[in-house]
Amino acid sequence: MDNVSILTDYQLLVVIVNFGLGSKVLKIAKQEGIGGGTIVIGKGTHRQPILEFLELAETRKEIVMMIAPLRLVNPTCDALEEKMKLHKPNHGIAFVIPVAKFMGMGKYDRSYKLNEGGDVMTEYQAIFTVVDKGKGQEVVDVATQAGAKGATLINARGSGIHETSKLFNMEVEPEKEMVLILAKHDIVQDIISAITHELDLEKPGNGILFVQEVHQTKGIR
Amino acid sequence: MTLIASKLKENIYAMLPIMGIVFILHFTLVPLSGGQILRFLLGSVFVILGLSLFLVGVDLAITPLGALTGEQITKPNRLWIVILAGIILGFVISIAEPGLIVFANQVHTVTSGLISSNMILITVSIGLALLVSLGFTRIIYNIPLFKILIVLYIIIGILALFSSPVFLAIAFDASGATTGVLAVPFLLALSVGISRLKRDVKASEKDSFGLVAIASAGAVMGLLILGFFAQDLVFTDPPIPIFSDTGLILAPFLHVIPSSFLDTIVAFSPLLGIFILLQIFGFKLKHRPLFKMIKGFIYALLGLFIFLVGVNAGFMEVGDLIGETLAVQERSIYLLIAAFFLGLFTIIAEPAVSVLTHQIEDITSGYVKRRLVLIPLSIGVGCAILLSALRVLIPELQLWHILLPGYTISLTMMFFVPKLFVGIAFDAGGVATGPLTATFTLAFVQGAARAYSSANLVLDGFGMIALVALAPIITLQILGLVYKRRTRKAGV
Repeated sequence: MDNVSILTDYQLLVVIVNFGLGSKVLKIAKQEGIGGGTIVIGKGTHRQPILEFLELAETRKEIVMMIAPLRLVNPTCDALEEKMKLHKPNHGIAFVIPVAKFMGMGKYDRSYKLNEGGDVMTEYQAIFTVVDKGKGQEVVDVATQAGAKGATLINARGSGIHETSKLFNMEVEPEKEMVLILAKHDIVQDIISAITHELDLEKPGNGILFVQEVHQTKGIR
Repeated sequence: MTLIASKLKENIYAMLPIMGIVFILHFTLVPLSGGQILRFLLGSVFVILGLSLFLVGVDLAITPLGALTGEQITKPNRLWIVILAGIILGFVISIAEPGLIVFANQVHTVTSGLISSNMILITVSIGLALLVSLGFTRIIYNIPLFKILIVLYIIIGILALFSSPVFLAIAFDASGATTGVLAVPFLLALSVGISRLKRDVKASEKDSFGLVAIASAGAVMGLLILGFFAQDLVFTDPPIPIFSDTGLILAPFLHVIPSSFLDTIVAFSPLLGIFILLQIFGFKLKHRPLFKMIKGFIYALLGLFIFLVGVNAGFMEVGDLIGETLAVQERSIYLLIAAFFLGLFTIIAEPAVSVLTHQIEDITSGYVKRRLVLIPLSIGVGCAILLSALRVLIPELQLWHILLPGYTISLTMMFFVPKLFVGIAFDAGGVATGPLTATFTLAFVQGAARAYSSANLVLDGFGMIALVALAPIITLQILGLVYKRRTRKAGV
């Protein structure tokens, strides 16, 4: 499975930091040349028995997800580690996940190297679509018509190269919705085409979509 | 950073400006005695600790309880359940609000018992209850907030025409008094719980705000209607608490412990009641979340208690003294400047404000940032206190001279502002008037009114809360306009 890690020229860079620092992460990444990113609010905890008993162990986190071209992944990670002090404890974590397909940002990426390795890797794939708030339901509807059995909507905020604005010197990222669809690999292409077409993702600024391999599923029939 | 550490840090930052301005005044115009300064410092420590614990408790217990209750009453899909639940919830929350109880007693004294405190409590609670239930119905039927608000404020405007100036001030103040520390987080979470079930995310986001605004309008209407039946009132000056500088440090703190404890218990009782009832009949929470909520309640209860002790024992006296000393200064500009900055800074440490701003961040996934909401909110409240100080100096300036244009502007702006911000702004109006404003800043204005000979104590004592509730509505809607302009997509 060595070749799995390089499926496209893009990878998904995920950074989890304390609440309020997400915009800073995105800003640093943009300085390194990354087009944009999506931020989701989450809650995190780490093992501390006394605090857990007192129910105080939970902290608010921001999860920043960015699609990065391969050549930018390492420099961005290094820059983030240095500026966000990720090497110190409790300053956040970052990791990189391979991406099977990616489109949006005006580039329609047709170069899937899915079959180059010779074997179909997984039965299921995860399709992530990030669109402006309010359009998530449309994505779900289109995907359902194309054969998807369900979808999960996640509230997020984020910005691409076309959306940057500042208020009192603070970055403001517009609201987004992230749609997660798990689908069998044989209908993935249909769903992608339908979403790309209906939401006009080939045009810049309308949203992005990427696909990841899923190695195990439970609960999908 | 853990939850408690981040709250502590947040509240220390929130308290520093207030402490700063008191110290600046101490070394310039209003020298305080050693005992007063030490009590103020101790009070600040209490406020920081109490506020942090309380907010952790709100996160763990009150917000989840509100959201769960909201879901519980909408799930059966029966309108009568929603309406009935709105009336019951609105009534019990309002009638146990410590701020309202204090307020009702004050009105009782000022009107020489003609309007009894029970009468006030019940009218306000009924008004609030009916409108909370209207607010629920609005969310379910997707009726736009601005339409409801226009209708409500037109009714209020008509009622206000027939009301005496003093009663107008009392009525508007009541709306601020009802939406206190516990009611606000609970009402906010309730609307989130109800609107969460919607399929349309945009509508769900907008409808998460506005319930506090509608509820406060209910309190105003209730009292204005009560005013009809009590036309010929004679108003007497309210007894102003006289603070004697005892030089003792701890005694005042021990003195307020029983009353603060009672206030806390009374305020929590309806929420605890709702929690126990719904846990038995509705939620049936499992072991872990149940204990989490119980621990949250303990934090919130302890926190509110410590907070109230700190404010009552350490802050009121200082506020009163600053107001009194500045009002007799030769140049009244000092009073106005101090008023503006006191308003600007106290609002940041107001518990319900912290809850609202966090809620805004959560619901918009961080699109509307906390600090960005705080800036216009602070400026708004600063202007409100400034206007209150002006009213003390210029007796001709009546409350309606400010309220009428203020609300006209607010209502007109609704048509241009993104609808999300309309809800946020009108909610912020109710939220801004919490326990810190109602004690520290009110003591400041009353102190000034007492010292300034031409001031009318009855008229000036009331009305400040009304202004504090009005100003943020305008400033936050301006923020909405700025957001609208700045976040358009550029050159796609």
